[in-house]
Amino acid sequence: MIRVENLSKHFKVFKHHRGAMGTLRNLFTRQYNLVQAVNGLSFEIQPGELVGYIGPNGAGKSTTIKMLTGLLVPTSGELSVMGLLPWRDRQKYVARVGAVFGQRTTLWWDLPVIESLNLLQHIYKIPAASFKQNLDEFRTTLELDPFLDTPVRALSLGQRMRADICAALLHDPEILFLDEPTIGLDVVAKERIRQFIQQVNRERGTTVILTTHDLSDVEKLCQRVMIIDRGKLLFEGQLDALKAQFGGKRELLVDFAEDYPSPQIEGAEIAGREGGRVSYRFARGEIAASELIGRISAKYRIRDLEVREPQIEETIRRIYEERLLEN
Amino acid sequence: MKHALNLYRRLLGVQIRSQMQYRASFALELVGTGLIALFEYASLALVFERFDNLGGWTLGQVAFLYDMAEFSFGIMDMIFAGFDPSLFGQNVRRGTFDQLLLRPVNISVQVLGSEFTLRRIGKIIVGAGIFASALALNPVAWTPPKALLATLMAVSQVAFFGGLFIIGATITFWTVESIEVVNIFTYGGNYMISHPMHIFPAGLRQFFTYIIPAIFLAYYPALYILELPDPFRLPAFAPWLAPLAGLSVLMAALAFWRFGIRYYQSTGT
Ligand SMILES: Nc1ncnc2c1ncn2[C@@H]1O[C@H](COP(=O)(O)OP(=O)(O)OP(=O)(O)O)[C@@H](O)[C@H]1O
Ligand SMILES: [Mg+2]
Repeated sequence: MIRVENLSKHFKVFKHHRGAMGTLRNLFTRQYNLVQAVNGLSFEIQPGELVGYIGPNGAGKSTTIKMLTGLLVPTSGELSVMGLLPWRDRQKYVARVGAVFGQRTTLWWDLPVIESLNLLQHIYKIPAASFKQNLDEFRTTLELDPFLDTPVRALSLGQRMRADICAALLHDPEILFLDEPTIGLDVVAKERIRQFIQQVNRERGTTVILTTHDLSDVEKLCQRVMIIDRGKLLFEGQLDALKAQFGGKRELLVDFAEDYPSPQIEGAEIAGREGGRVSYRFARGEIAASELIGRISAKYRIRDLEVREPQIEETIRRIYEERLLEN
Repeated sequence: MKHALNLYRRLLGVQIRSQMQYRASFALELVGTGLIALFEYASLALVFERFDNLGGWTLGQVAFLYDMAEFSFGIMDMIFAGFDPSLFGQNVRRGTFDQLLLRPVNISVQVLGSEFTLRRIGKIIVGAGIFASALALNPVAWTPPKALLATLMAVSQVAFFGGLFIIGATITFWTVESIEVVNIFTYGGNYMISHPMHIFPAGLRQFFTYIIPAIFLAYYPALYILELPDPFRLPAFAPWLAPLAGLSVLMAALAFWRFGIRYYQSTGT
């Protein structure tokens, strides 16, 4: 459905000289820095996938989304979505996709939400029947009714995001692009948006690509993740594979019934202790949790214990920080 | 095409409805722009009292030229408000323009529909009134060809000024810092066609004859309507070149606009 090969986007950022003479120099010298926002990206996305696209600030996520939605022309490389070239076939293409940029709205600032939505019906030439059916459905699932008659400028961030997502889906797009759809939202609002995205993906078969800085978005929603940094793909694949490949060690927390000065155990290292509570770290694949617990309880008296899986946050942070995949 | 027109109508409806939401400020601006226009005409008349004529033209003759340009500019400013360079430049920086690119409708139609400054009506009405009184100052007989030419003149000037706005808006893809330069461009164009061209140096006049054909938009039709002799001895059909001149500037502007959009898509904001 989406095929990207060796895609790059380089920006020339011109140096600016200030003042009157500076303006003249700007005209003639044109010195610039080259920013390689996206650098040789290749991936494919199949119909019906729900893909999370993550990476630190300035990694090139938005730039990629802008190329995929036809807002930007790539510097080099190939890009084909549903057989179309987004920037060249703009009108034909955007009629078949939806996009939400979390930082801004598509809706008309001074109009009540419902009027904006009605206008979109005409913009996308949506048949009356399917418009009504979609709108009725989204009104319930996104709980739009309380603010349908409120001008967009008066909406809260969460309400506006729901209205925007509704607006992007009314014309039954085959692909939905979401650039930071949960930015600035509270936990409840985030959860609501996540559930909705999942539902749209499952029930309508809409392909979804979303960027986010909130890894729980990815964890709860996406089967597949792509991690980008400095314009290059660091990882691409199933979330579980990511954890298995890079996931740090698992953790076993033990509350001992007695005070042992150094409760060493073969197969795990002590990562820390707090009073009677000791935390062990051990690698998946080297020793099973049950085996480890058996070894400990054979030697010591245990009151309580808990196994912790490596957190995705932790994993991703390590990838960003250590650039594990470099070279 | 039909879809685009239908949509344009709807977008205008939206603009007008949202402006009506702020009824009080709308009324104030309506009166305000009207008063400013009135003041501008009054100061022109005052200047005139001291010099008595401008390059041999009487107050009535200059007023005809000036008012026609003001009136057309007012109408253009209302219709082409979406292309107003300072406003458009802001929309590009804010990313509003990207949102237009995401919709399956011709982009120029969307920009036209993105703003419609109804409050300019105040200025337009005052302009029309003053234009009528300027006509009264000119003791010329009106004939059907003259009426036709006056109408063509207004329409062509709207196209011309619209072209200038579009060029100015396009320049903001490259730079917003030089918005002043862009304004000199649009308001300079207005100045040129609202004055009798024979008062300008030959070089400037030739530029506005052969490069940017502004002279056919105002000066020549005015010569015909006011029955004045042509000091430059162009062929007799020169006044009737007005629509061609207006249209060609608008077309050139739209070509530049399309080029600008391509540039924007390669650089972003
Ligand atoms: N129009 C532009 N002109 C010049 N440089 C740009 C432009 N757009 C983006 N960049 C640069 O390209 C790089 C990638 O930016 P991009 O917005 O794609 O990052 P991102 O992954 O979306 O970051 P964030 O998580 O902060 O939104 C950054 O260094 C940015 O400064
Ligand atoms: Mg971004």
